[in-house]
Amino acid sequence: MNTDAAGLGRGRAAGFVLPAMVLIGVFLVFPALWTIYLGLTDYRLTGLAAANPRVVGADNYTAALGDERFHRSLWLTVQYVLGSAVLGQAVLGFTIAWMLRDRPGPVKRITEALVLLAWILPSSVVAFLWIALLDRDEGTLNALLHTPGFAWLLDYPMPSIIVFNVWRGTAFSMMLYGAALENVPPSQLETARLAGASTLQQLRDVVFPAIKGHVLTNLLLISLWTFNDFTTFQITAGGPEGRSEILPVYIYNVALRDGQLGFGAAISSVVLLINLVFAFAYLRLLRGRREAVTS
Amino acid sequence: MIRGDPVIRGDRGTRPPSTGRDYTRHALGTIGRATLLAVLPAFFALPLLWLASAPFDAHPSITTSVPEFTLANFRSLLENPYALSSLRNSLIQAGGSAAIVVVLAALAAYALSRVRVPGRDALLYVLLLLSSVVTGTAAMVPLFELATRLNLIDTHLGVILTLSGGLLPAAIFILKDFMDGTPTSYEESARVFGASPLQILGHIVIPLVRPGLATIAVWAVANVWGSFLQPFILLRDPGKAPGAVILYTLYTEGGAPRLDLISAFSLLYSLPVVVMYVFVSRRYGFRFHGGIKR
Amino acid sequence: MISLSGLTKEFPGGVRAIDSLDLEIADGEFFALLGPSGCGKTTLLRTIAGLETPTSGNIRIGAVDVTRLPPGRRDVAMVFQDYALFPHMDVTANIAYPLRIKKVPRAAREAKAAETASRLSLSELLGRRPGQLSGGQQQRVALARAIASHPTVFLFDEPLSNLDARLRLEARTFLKRLQRELAVTTVFVTHDQGEALALADRIAVMSAGRIMQVGTPSEVFQRPANTFVAAFIGSTPMNLLPGRAENGALHVAGAVLPLPPGVREGPIVYGLRPEYADLTQSPPLGRNDAFTGKVAVVENLGTAHLVTLESPSAEANHLLQVVVPEGEEPGLGTPAWVTPRPGRALLYRDDELLTSA
Repeated sequence: MNTDAAGLGRGRAAGFVLPAMVLIGVFLVFPALWTIYLGLTDYRLTGLAAANPRVVGADNYTAALGDERFHRSLWLTVQYVLGSAVLGQAVLGFTIAWMLRDRPGPVKRITEALVLLAWILPSSVVAFLWIALLDRDEGTLNALLHTPGFAWLLDYPMPSIIVFNVWRGTAFSMMLYGAALENVPPSQLETARLAGASTLQQLRDVVFPAIKGHVLTNLLLISLWTFNDFTTFQITAGGPEGRSEILPVYIYNVALRDGQLGFGAAISSVVLLINLVFAFAYLRLLRGRREAVTS
Repeated sequence: MIRGDPVIRGDRGTRPPSTGRDYTRHALGTIGRATLLAVLPAFFALPLLWLASAPFDAHPSITTSVPEFTLANFRSLLENPYALSSLRNSLIQAGGSAAIVVVLAALAAYALSRVRVPGRDALLYVLLLLSSVVTGTAAMVPLFELATRLNLIDTHLGVILTLSGGLLPAAIFILKDFMDGTPTSYEESARVFGASPLQILGHIVIPLVRPGLATIAVWAVANVWGSFLQPFILLRDPGKAPGAVILYTLYTEGGAPRLDLISAFSLLYSLPVVVMYVFVSRRYGFRFHGGIKR
Repeated sequence: MISLSGLTKEFPGGVRAIDSLDLEIADGEFFALLGPSGCGKTTLLRTIAGLETPTSGNIRIGAVDVTRLPPGRRDVAMVFQDYALFPHMDVTANIAYPLRIKKVPRAAREAKAAETASRLSLSELLGRRPGQLSGGQQQRVALARAIASHPTVFLFDEPLSNLDARLRLEARTFLKRLQRELAVTTVFVTHDQGEALALADRIAVMSAGRIMQVGTPSEVFQRPANTFVAAFIGSTPMNLLPGRAENGALHVAGAVLPLPPGVREGPIVYGLRPEYADLTQSPPLGRNDAFTGKVAVVENLGTAHLVTLESPSAEANHLLQVVVPEGEEPGLGTPAWVTPRPGRALLYRDDELLTSA
């Protein structure tokens, strides 16, 4: 009903909103549009094309789509997202939340604290922690497993960074599912239990229907974040021989290390597009739920 | 470890096991749960142990071991030309971004919450969508280009503005939610007593949403403090680089890594984030704002 | 004096919350805006405060046309339904807030706050935050803050609705006495007819953005100007029975009643408050103007009983309610007769009051 509770007036309101919009416009909206334009040029970091970039049309895009290295990077990214986010973080996060949901005391607090710590530490720190853990000669893992000289990062770069990212990101899923499980009415679980349902049946018949929305939200968000995650650059830098070169690392290597800005921008546009699909799916989900709540 | 997890089959022990099969199942479930409850914390703790032990070890190695206690590693930090200055750089960049994000987001969120402009909700959704789509990863090329043309390469301001632009939409969204949750009758009451819009903002609104502002400030600081990509591509001068970048160079630059330096620095550099996290969750409780960290 | 003329407030989307409304409120009057939720009473109060801008029409407070003035320059004070006490300020700072806006020096405004607080027995609570006060205390602090601003008009939005039932009666008496002492023109909004009757000097009953009747509590209670007001006012709803004026008599629910002079023949609605009729358990002697029926429900009201009669005839199957004094309630299912008290029944035609009978 009320259109202007504080008596700000349209003009002052616009003045309040404007500075934020300018900053967002320059450093968020404009770069997105520019990515698409740069992808249409042969722009390079150095050399002749740095001074006078030429518009080469869709060349970069067709070249990228036909590029062997891009295909491999895309496939590695799919493995990374499905393996570490969808399977790893979501399943492990739910398992932990379910096991800890009504468990009081130190076990819950310690487990949660450790999972959270992995999530909040700066990426440079956790990257080195994993380099140290997986080190060939003196790594703690080899010492524990009595496998001295086993080169995890060289021989199994993808499984290594997938396990790393499970470790790194499970906290979000754990907390989201923890919050979701709190909203499952205990009386429903008790009814199912009185009817003799096993834990698996309780999960299927009571818990999952109640937290379906949360599951979708979680999967979309962690997929989006994992898809854009640059932390593995600090562990493997995409190596060895590009065997862990997921898209974010690939873009960096192509555009900023090798200087092919135009080509890198074309790949970025593809990433933008995929992000857009994720984000739209997420927004539709949010809207749907909001409408369900208001109606 | 996760599929075929016995926990899922075990029941919660309220039903008396009636048959032998049920009994075995029950026992297996209990054992499985206990095992998982031991293995999981171990999995999460393992990489962290080094961070707890090495900084205080007189002869730190990569292997986690019981330290021969010393604080000498922290002293060697003082001797390194970049270590401490990088923390100062982190502070400047994080503080600057947090200030910009809090002030601009609060103003925008207040206006958007209180003045009904057509298309307001759509605008917010589009912004939120943009901030999750235009990530540092996807936009590193144009951000680098933009900084180059605006002469922002190798400046704190470049890093601050770039990161603030990315944080603002979510900050506005969260703060608007916060402001929507405070009754308008407070402001109306002040208005009837004759307070001007600026007085209302200063006397009423800012004190009321202070927890929200603090949350956003801490969230922004934590985000920028941990950021690696943007300062990594926007700063060439190691004298301007924040902790994230200096730490990375400490262990990737040629030669044997100085483990005494790396371990002590990692700990020092991690502490503020942990402290802030504990502060926010203690003081205001953890609220689910679609992920406080992106 | 507050005078409203041709006041209209239309919200985006075409909803008319106030519809060309005229009203005058005298100086020092305690005036109630009463109506069901959504009738526009709160919008009207907010428009007087200046929190809403009218689409057309004028508002004058005293000699000043305030229609276009911002709220802070109308010299009014408002107490909100949720009290709107600032949670981050203590009681002193809350009460002194209007003076802070008027740039009264700190010492002076704190003294004034303490003085106002002591008048409302709040002196013990000056250092507390609103969150540490009970509902009744919060309400008094909100009143104190309004008083401290020394306005020409008080505006109260449902001032008692956030209190629990017992406290509400106490606060009602307190509020009435306070208003008498201060003698400041006061407009308050309520949906509770009992509250309006108890507190107000005059009441405006509103429906759908229009005023249905303005009058003193007894006028509104005893002679509701239309069936809307008749049905809305009264703790037990008025009996409104359809009937006909025919052949010089009133035919209502099986009874034949004398027709008051000046009423033309045709359909009418017969209004009778349950309090204004007498119930007997045998036919009243020498009279034929009684309603009859079987006792269907008896509800205990404490000092009286509310009896619902079911009339026996199928063609006039109406329920009739009567209030019966303590100890005189009839047995369930027994026949009973109801005699209206002379001059207390009301006749309506086309929803408007014709006359009493």
